[in-house]
Amino acid sequence: MIRYLTVRLGSLFGREQLERELDAELRYHIDMLTEQLVQQGLSHEDARREALRQFGPVDTVKDGVRDAWLSRFVEIAAQDVRYAVRSLRRTPGFALLIVLTMALGIGANTAIFSVVNGVLLRPLPYKGGDKLVELHQGAGDPSDPANDIGFSVKDLEDYRQARSFSDVVEFHNMLFTLLGRSEPLRVSTGVVSANYFDVLGIKPLYGRTFVDADDRPGAPAVLVLTHDYWARHFDEDPQIVGKVFRMNDRPHTVVGVLPPVPLYNPQGTTDVDVFMPTSACPFRSRQAFVDNRSGRMMSAFARVRPEATLLKSAADLDITAARLAKDYPQNYPQRDFRAVGLPLKDEMTVNFKPTLWILLGTAGFVLLIVCASIANLLLARIVRRERELSVRAALGATRSRLLRQLLTESLLLAGGGGGLGLVFAALTMKLLVSFAERYTPRAAEISIDLTVLGFTFGLALLTGLVFGSIPAFSQRVDSAPALRDGSRTSHSSQRLRRVLIVAQIGASFMLLIAAGLMLRSLMNVQAVNPGFHTEHLLTFRADMGFDKYPVSMPFAERQARFAQYWHAFEQRLRAVPGVSSVGAGGTFPLNELPPGTGRLVRQSHPLPPGMQPPSINVRFATPDYFGTLGQPLLGGRAFAESDTADAAPVAMVNQTAAKQYWPNEDPVGTRIESGNGSFMTIVGVVADVRQQLDRAPGAEVYLPLAQAALLGTTWILKTDLAPAELERSVRAAAQAHDADLPVSSFRTLADVRSITLTPRRVVVALIGLFGALALVITAAGIAGVVAFSVNQRTQEFGIRMALGAQRGRVLSLVLREGVALVLVGLAIGVAGAAVLTRLLGQMLVAASPQTSGPLLVDVAPTDVVTYIGVAATLLLVALVACAMPARRAASVDPMVALRAQ
Amino acid sequence: MAPKSDLLQGTLDLLVLRTLAEGAMHGWGISQRIQQLSKDVLQVNQGSLYPALHRLEQQGLIEAEWGNSENNRQAKFYQLTRDGRKQLAEEARNWERLSTAVARVLAGL
Repeated sequence: MIRYLTVRLGSLFGREQLERELDAELRYHIDMLTEQLVQQGLSHEDARREALRQFGPVDTVKDGVRDAWLSRFVEIAAQDVRYAVRSLRRTPGFALLIVLTMALGIGANTAIFSVVNGVLLRPLPYKGGDKLVELHQGAGDPSDPANDIGFSVKDLEDYRQARSFSDVVEFHNMLFTLLGRSEPLRVSTGVVSANYFDVLGIKPLYGRTFVDADDRPGAPAVLVLTHDYWARHFDEDPQIVGKVFRMNDRPHTVVGVLPPVPLYNPQGTTDVDVFMPTSACPFRSRQAFVDNRSGRMMSAFARVRPEATLLKSAADLDITAARLAKDYPQNYPQRDFRAVGLPLKDEMTVNFKPTLWILLGTAGFVLLIVCASIANLLLARIVRRERELSVRAALGATRSRLLRQLLTESLLLAGGGGGLGLVFAALTMKLLVSFAERYTPRAAEISIDLTVLGFTFGLALLTGLVFGSIPAFSQRVDSAPALRDGSRTSHSSQRLRRVLIVAQIGASFMLLIAAGLMLRSLMNVQAVNPGFHTEHLLTFRADMGFDKYPVSMPFAERQARFAQYWHAFEQRLRAVPGVSSVGAGGTFPLNELPPGTGRLVRQSHPLPPGMQPPSINVRFATPDYFGTLGQPLLGGRAFAESDTADAAPVAMVNQTAAKQYWPNEDPVGTRIESGNGSFMTIVGVVADVRQQLDRAPGAEVYLPLAQAALLGTTWILKTDLAPAELERSVRAAAQAHDADLPVSSFRTLADVRSITLTPRRVVVALIGLFGALALVITAAGIAGVVAFSVNQRTQEFGIRMALGAQRGRVLSLVLREGVALVLVGLAIGVAGAAVLTRLLGQMLVAASPQTSGPLLVDVAPTDVVTYIGVAATLLLVALVACAMPARRAASVDPMVALRAQ
Repeated sequence: MAPKSDLLQGTLDLLVLRTLAEGAMHGWGISQRIQQLSKDVLQVNQGSLYPALHRLEQQGLIEAEWGNSENNRQAKFYQLTRDGRKQLAEEARNWERLSTAVARVLAGL
């Protein structure tokens, strides 16, 4: 390895020549020794052999000499470094400027790369993570959540038979209440197969994970805590293993704590707090549910056998799905039914990819601009040093020596820039992690690891080498003529600088366009009217313990009890001083929890057989819900107190649903069925609301809370009180209503809205920062190039003014040069932006199926206003940058100019 | 043939410098001369000689030039530089002092 490096470096020092000479030298010695032996009487061949024997192994001798050379090379390199440091110290401002600029460019790229590395490149921190897939089944494309029907217990038994999988495990997410602490806690629970953690390859931090015995019917209930939950609620107490809590009317023992690995919740947007085996879940363990092939609520993960490929497993899934549909026609959709397995890593990162690529792209642009700028600065410096370099050449320094020293300078600067850039990036780590958390559970894996360090080092080295080799192309560093003729410079250097600055302007333009488009999208999203008020509203969750009204109770009675329970709670809340209005539902718009979905069947529009009824969002609401939110009623009536559990079932639809499904009639008065056999009469039409600000509202139907049996509810309180104060009163009211009722997630609706805007704001801030950086650097670059050119043309200006040209004319000459550069740069930028837009295409305006909305909202990638705005900004900045050199040009004293070199 | 003695690096450098004090010589010539002058006691190991020559060259004590040898072939000739002469004088003095001291110790036992 060392040998390889020395050979490579050695060529920089003229190594080949040395090797040839050494070879000749040793050959001479051996020849002479051979001759001597011949004279002593041996035959020629014997003499040769004896000579070689006496000489010793030639390669060993050569190695000895090479070692001597190596120490010489090191010494020369050290000398170069010392000289470079001295030379840079003479112009500290210049060196600092370059190091700083490079640090910004490299720092930005290191930061973004560390995100890409942690989220996309690194393998999952599970054993054999690349062989894990998430399964989906359904009609059409099951990976689309709209088509995914989930799995039942019987489904999974059949899929387990597929030969490509070594195992299939299930997961579903439920909200339960944990009792035994100072107040009841709502826990998001992952209910999983006993070997879930074994299949994923996760080992516990404390205690153990589940074993088969835990999953047997009637086994004692056990819990495994996630690391985050354990840290937040139990203070990282290592004695937690063995503690018993009460959930679902049974004691649950904590048997283990997980390490801080990313955990993927395929069924919701909330993190999982604890895990329990399927036997402990009251819904899942019911025999009726287990036996029902169509009882589907689980997600499934599978591990592909080491010897099988993902392709083969996909084929196995197809075969199994087809067989199931044939054998059990009433349990599976008969048309187009498929099952697929998607790599787990992709599932965990898909939301983040578009944003990440955009950020990586813009960071790359920043680096290019930075590089062009530094190249410009270095070229300018070389020109200034031309005299010094010529003197040294005249005194005997070889061209390669001078180039080597310039290269050393570049490498030193690059090293400084890289190191400082690493520091910058390290400072932003926490910010990046919290930014990424909204998009992927892998956010915690973002860090500066060896790969990132290698990337930074490589980048710094590359930029140093690129800059260091520029003088080799652009200058004649050993030309004696330079000594004679003052400050004349080769035109090629000035042309190269012009090319660089034009490229910089083009790249800046594209970067600023990206920033401008994202900014306009943000402004559009911020201006969106969500369809309701967001001020003076406090929201929170209340989740009834499901064991309150046992499942054995007949549904009608349970429904009545639930309605009574929530109604009583609502009364208590109304009585809290400061609350002017109370509304409740399953969720509310802008909440991370989306509304449920159902199928819409209109009594007036019977469906042809075999066709799926359209999917529709389902919301729940109390009578005061709409008034509290400020969501206008458009027709008919809202729910009333009279719409109780035993009254006629009613529903309301939103405007989009009305337009879509009742285009030529008034939906009020018609009947719909929600899929479980019962019909409801539509009593009112309400205005649309946006669940997410950057997505258009879909068709929605509302059902009265009193006629549903909801365990988990969200409440909205209209108030003028401070949120903290109101929270206290609400908690007291909840405690009085039911000591076992956990209330959580107290946030004002305004805050919730802000939270939904945060990721977009961060992206705009980042790209905007990059854009501003690029602008400053480019402006400085333009100023530099124009100032230099003015310097060169001092004589010309002097002549012009001596011949009678006005100051203004000279000024305009200089400005014209600057504007010309910008115009060419703009042309390149526009062309580049057009090409890039074509390449990125759909990615810019499409929304990904899960959480994140489209990148660009209500603004086309070729938006004229943005283009004109950015172009105007660049022109303005260029003019300002040219102003100083232009003024100096115009104020040249003709006599001084004419006399100058 | 007398047993070969291994030469310390510093000593070899000194011998090489001394040999070159007589005039420019190539590596083969130096090795022969040392052998000859020491009456065959010292046989220089080529694995040490050539690295030493290159090292001395880099230290600036000797300089090299390709030229024609006795039998009209191309060989690399070394000769002392001014620094080399100074170094030789100093090293020779040190060696003298050292060997005298050792002799005195051995005699005075």
